[in-house]
This record gives sequence, C-alpha cells and structure tokens, in this order.
Amino acid sequence: FVPQPRLQYVPVKGDHVIGIVTAKAGDVFKLDVGGSEQASLSYLAFEGATKRNRPNVQVGDLIYGQFLVANKDMEPEMVCIDSSGRSNGMGIIGQDGFLFKVSLGLIRKLLAPKSEIIQELSQLYPFELVLGMNGRIWVKAKTVQQTLIIVNILEACEYMTAEQRKQALAKLSGN
Amino acid sequence: QPLSPCPLGERLCSAEEATAGSGTYTRHGFIFSSLAGCLEKRSEDSGLPVVSVVRDAESQLLPDVGAMVTCKVCSINSRFAKVHILYVGSTPLKSTFRGTIRREDIRATEKDKVEVYKSFRPGDIVLAKVISLGDAQSNYLLSTAENELGVVVARSEAGVQMVPISWCEMQCPRTHTKDFRKVARVQPQFLQT
Repeated sequence: FVPQPRLQYVPVKGDHVIGIVTAKAGDVFKLDVGGSEQASLSYLAFEGATKRNRPNVQVGDLIYGQFLVANKDMEPEMVCIDSSGRSNGMGIIGQDGFLFKVSLGLIRKLLAPKSEIIQELSQLYPFELVLGMNGRIWVKAKTVQQTLIIVNILEACEYMTAEQRKQALAKLSGN
Repeated sequence: QPLSPCPLGERLCSAEEATAGSGTYTRHGFIFSSLAGCLEKRSEDSGLPVVSVVRDAESQLLPDVGAMVTCKVCSINSRFAKVHILYVGSTPLKSTFRGTIRREDIRATEKDKVEVYKSFRPGDIVLAKVISLGDAQSNYLLSTAENELGVVVARSEAGVQMVPISWCEMQCPRTHTKDFRKVARVQPQFLQT
C-alpha cells in the first residue's frame, strides 16, 4: 500500500493505468498518464509484437497497461504484457466507449474485492468497464444513452451515499 | 601598468580619448565595460590607446581522454546518466562541463544486465574516466568500468551519507536500508580520516 496524494496521480511500479498516446517517437510511444511526466511504452511491449509485426497504435488511442519502471528519478515506463509475456487484458482499448476522470479514492473503492457499486451497476445494463489507478475510467455499453447513464452514476458515486445510489438505480431500472 | 578592478557596465572613458577593445562597447559616445574584470589600457603606436577589460588570465584546465574526473550525477535515464564534471584530477573547475555515462560503460562485466537506476542516482558523486571528448554538440563521454571508478559519495532517502558495504551496495547508517550503487573501490592512499 502506497499512500496516494489526494489530487495528482504518482506512478507506482505494478499499477494498472489508462494512458492516452500523445506521440510516436521511433520505437517508443509517449503516453499521458496524468502524472508529472509522460510515460514511455515500447512497441515490443505488446503480446505477439515483433519487429515485423508492430501493434497498430495511433496518437490519441487509449492504452491499458502497467508500470514496469516507476521511481522519482526516471521517466516511468509502461508495458502491456505481464512477466510471462501474456497480455492479461492489457493493450489498446477499442473504439467507442467513454473515458472520464474520477478521484483516486473512488477508484480504490471500485477496485475493492466485492465492490457494491459495480455489482449494482451490472444488474442495470451490461457494459464493459476499464478502471485505471490514475483516476481514469473507460465505459462502453450497448447504446450511447446507457453509456452516459453509467458514466453519470459513477461520477456521482463520489459524493452519493449508498442509500442515494440505490434510490437512483431503482429509479433507472424502473424506467 | 597596474590593472585596476572594473565592474560591469562601468563607464570607462569617452570614445574620443581611446578605442574600444575586447570586453567593452561604445554607446552615446562613451566606452562602457561589458565584463566584470580588470581594466587594461594599452597604448597603440598609431592613434588612440586601446581600452579593454580582461577576465581571469589563467585558462581553464580541460579534461583529456584518459583523465580521471570527479562528477556529480544530475539526471538518469534507462540508457545513460548525465553528469556535471566538477574536478579534473584534483583541480576544481571554475565552470562545470557536462558528461554522459552510457549504460554499457558503467561496468566492465555483464554489461547487458546493468540497470542505471541500480548504479547511480541524481546527486551522487562519481569518479569516472574520460573516454571521448565527443563532437560539437555532445558531452564528454565518461566510463566507470573499473574497480576504482564509480560512486564515492551518495545520500540515502533519509538524507544521510551512506556507507559502502560491497561493490554494488551501500547502506544508510541511520535507517539501515540498503541501496544499490556501483561503488568505487578507492585506493587506501586517497582515503582521509
């Protein structure tokens, strides 16, 4: 457990985050992860990537990966494979969907083993969810309206109590 | 002729009495100094005397290939460490030069397993050897690939100077945490107690 600052995210080795590709510099992508520095990601750090078989990453893409190197003296390095070489859910996040920011405290609440919020939301509509430790969440549901509803509920979970949340979800599932 | 000290921007004399030499400039019909140094007035055979301002007369000692230098690490990267060269041999430099220690020049053996983060940190004082002067844009290339070269002084996270335990580890005397560094084995004759 590393105590997090309340506002800005500090890269920690092993953390899974959502990064936005800002530049392609030769063999390395530069990602914005919401920290003080941009993270670097090598094009070989994807599952099945070789020098001939490069991943199709463009500027503006979303990447879900983990930190390989993250200390206060060097630029953080990210990878999209784990130690055994498998992607394990990491990589380029697909098209569509919605990316938004929440506080770091809410992310940790959502990542807790039996998070009520996620369970209750999954009973509402089916959706895809990616949670980044840097405070970024990506949601994709069947329709744009459903996606936006989920986004609004997650953003409101910052300050809603469990009671208020259950009431809001009951109203929505009633509709 | 005695050299008098001259501050920056001092109005020396009128442009009709003398000609502006090095370290001076003419403005509004007067000669001003553009350096802080010593005032020098040389009389020319033809025409007016030349007024110039001279800074330190001694020239800077330059590190040469093979010279042992003492430097301070300013930033690290996964591929190299950037340093400021402070001393050449035992003479301090008036203005620091910049040097680079590449990852493959940190150690003599097992060069591919080297991690710069486990050899140097920003703020460490390192003994290194110059291997190349570099071209116009690049810095001096330094190497620590010898037993006598490497980190001499390092501070722990607590801010206390660490004590070397082996060639790759240093320990903080207050918190007893061990940190990785490429430690220099300083010859006994250079150690002072």
